[in-house]
Amino acid sequence: MQSRRDALLTFAAAWGVLSLPAGAAAQPAVAVGANLGWTPSGVTLSQAQVLDALAELIAPATDTPGAREAGVPAYVDRTIAGYCTAAEAGEFRGVLDALDADARARHGKGFATLSIADQAAIAATYDRGQKFSPFGRLKEVVLVGYFSSEPGATVAVRYDPIPGDYKGCIPLSEVGRAWAL
Amino acid sequence: MANLNTRWRQENTYDAIVVGSGMTGGWAAKELSERGLKTLVLERGRMVRHLEDYPTAATHPWEVKYPRAKLPPDELKAKYPVQNRTGYALTEYTQHFFVRDDENPYTEDQPFDWIRGYHVGGRSLLWARQSYRWSDLDFEANAKEGVGVDWPVRYRDIAPWYDYVERYIGVSGQAEGLPQLPDGVFQPPMEMNCVEKVLKAKTEARFPERRVTIGRCAHLTEPTEEQIALGRGKCQHRNMCMRGCPFGAYFSSNAVTLVAAEKTGNFKLRPHSIVTEILYDARKGRASGVRVQDEATGEVMEFYAKVVFLCASALNSTWIMMNSTSRRFPNGFGNGSDQLGRNIMDHHLGVGAMAEAPGYEDRYYSGRRPNGLYIPRFRNLGDAATKRSDYLRGFGYQGGAGRPNWDRNLHAAGLGAARKDELSQPGPWMVRIGGFGEILPHADNRVTLNRDRKDRYGLPTLRFDAGLRGNETAMRRDMKTAAVEMLEAAGFTNVVGYETPSPPGLGIHEMGTARMGRDPKTSVLNAHNQVHECRNVYVTDGACMTSASCVNPSLTYMALTTRACAHAVEAGRRGEL
Repeated sequence: MQSRRDALLTFAAAWGVLSLPAGAAAQPAVAVGANLGWTPSGVTLSQAQVLDALAELIAPATDTPGAREAGVPAYVDRTIAGYCTAAEAGEFRGVLDALDADARARHGKGFATLSIADQAAIAATYDRGQKFSPFGRLKEVVLVGYFSSEPGATVAVRYDPIPGDYKGCIPLSEVGRAWAL
Repeated sequence: MANLNTRWRQENTYDAIVVGSGMTGGWAAKELSERGLKTLVLERGRMVRHLEDYPTAATHPWEVKYPRAKLPPDELKAKYPVQNRTGYALTEYTQHFFVRDDENPYTEDQPFDWIRGYHVGGRSLLWARQSYRWSDLDFEANAKEGVGVDWPVRYRDIAPWYDYVERYIGVSGQAEGLPQLPDGVFQPPMEMNCVEKVLKAKTEARFPERRVTIGRCAHLTEPTEEQIALGRGKCQHRNMCMRGCPFGAYFSSNAVTLVAAEKTGNFKLRPHSIVTEILYDARKGRASGVRVQDEATGEVMEFYAKVVFLCASALNSTWIMMNSTSRRFPNGFGNGSDQLGRNIMDHHLGVGAMAEAPGYEDRYYSGRRPNGLYIPRFRNLGDAATKRSDYLRGFGYQGGAGRPNWDRNLHAAGLGAARKDELSQPGPWMVRIGGFGEILPHADNRVTLNRDRKDRYGLPTLRFDAGLRGNETAMRRDMKTAAVEMLEAAGFTNVVGYETPSPPGLGIHEMGTARMGRDPKTSVLNAHNQVHECRNVYVTDGACMTSASCVNPSLTYMALTTRACAHAVEAGRRGEL
């Protein structure tokens, strides 16, 4: 298993689709049956487990908070329940089901219980950069949710609700990160 | 009953009635009430009080319900199919300032994007705040070219009123000394960013007739004592203007003119009041007041005054006039010319160019400037060098440079820490300039009253049949070409010209449907915005426009309104109304 995982990792990294903190690759992403901390309303409980893992896979905790800490899985669930058209909600649930089915086919267990490297390898088969693909759109919701969240907006990027002055040409180093808005 | 009617009439008689509380209605309210006239303002929508009725003014991005604060697709389709056509304006932050299309229908024989806000303050809360003067290049164009009818005014007639309005509302901008875009009373200009300064330097070096300046916008950058006394403050560069400004830093009726009117003690505002017609007293040959249908209760009532100002927005003032029929005016109020509803204009847009600007990756900016660049008209300026053989009039560009934040290419392949870190840094510098082109008046570009289709109040609706024509189409080709050549001359990369459809209305500068002119046979209003055929009715919103220029029109509407108010007060004193 280890060699296969490494091979997939190498493949993914070569395409620039994956980057992991050192030592993270072999760790399981989440304990089986971990409490989500939120109650799904737009997806089933098993889809919610996949969503929880996928969101953190897309925007993991680094030196800044990850999607899970930022409440993104619940955000995506609320978006599926209260924003998406029925058709799009169905497509998003389909993505979650497909990831889980692939995990079971390859590894005999659910997506959420795989190591991050195994999750990444499966996700990479859907993550082709296609603008209108269900996976691409779901990823977009995750990233919008992350950078719009309070931890995302205020820690991962810079948030200044009342800037006061406008300075048109300053060193990037004075800001350090992108503005949230 | 007779006594009751007499009493109602006494209690509901004013010196002046102003219909509408937006950009021009607010000004009419202020000017008339400050000059001592007991003034009633009738607004069809709900009350919006400055500050307290801006529910989203301080909302954080994590406090909204939906991704990017966009409304759900199903809701947009059901309630806002037209209002959403701008693509940017309608969000959770601004939803309460736009009409619901399902409740406010109209008919499009050709596409017409009618973007509306029915509430106190109207679209003065929502406008882009760009404030430019007209010049005689604009006022003389119809006469020189034999298009439409001649404007009955020239720049010298309006210039003092531009001064007056700019000084009061506060306009930030840079004096440029250009005859086609006269300078005004400016507060300090906002700063250009690094890449915009490059565009300016390179454009002006390569094309001497083109000027790149910072937008002139109705924001306070150095408030006057008068503005501070009104409760207004300096622009804080939040760029959340359309939610209502907690600092009163940009001009809106709510923050400025209605506040001033309130202070006079001569001012009364009645929301929920749909003016359905102008009452005409055939014996006196004058309007006696207006009929109102209460938007909430359906109750119909009348209000009376010596003078009526229609400031209900171009198409709603036109609608009121069309719906005001009498033996004297069988085809609509003051419509002996048959010009009412014709010559509808806007600005055509959605065409320009964009590019990347590599080489400034270590530079950024702070603050969200609620303003962009402006490139004033440089075609057909009256000399041989700028003369175009393929079209009349011209266009200006608006645009700017910036670095996209995290919200870029989110669908692109890539997961994990590297992607997250990448999005946490600003993207490449991008530049975009988009044209705003003049639309010529054309008698067959028109709106008519549709008595076969009623709204939920049982009132007739409007029917639109207007579109761009050959002059605009030819101009659009040049708008794209000239934009591309400027961005290329600036040394930017990946320069791409773009053109998207621009149905009339999308500029949200609809105008011209009760035009001013010198001759009652060919125009609805005279040189003072009075209805030729009924002198105590003034129309000072966009309906009055005889041509469109290519600059944003609100400043001119405001200047014309203040001028008309002064005229009305003087004419009233002389017993001429």
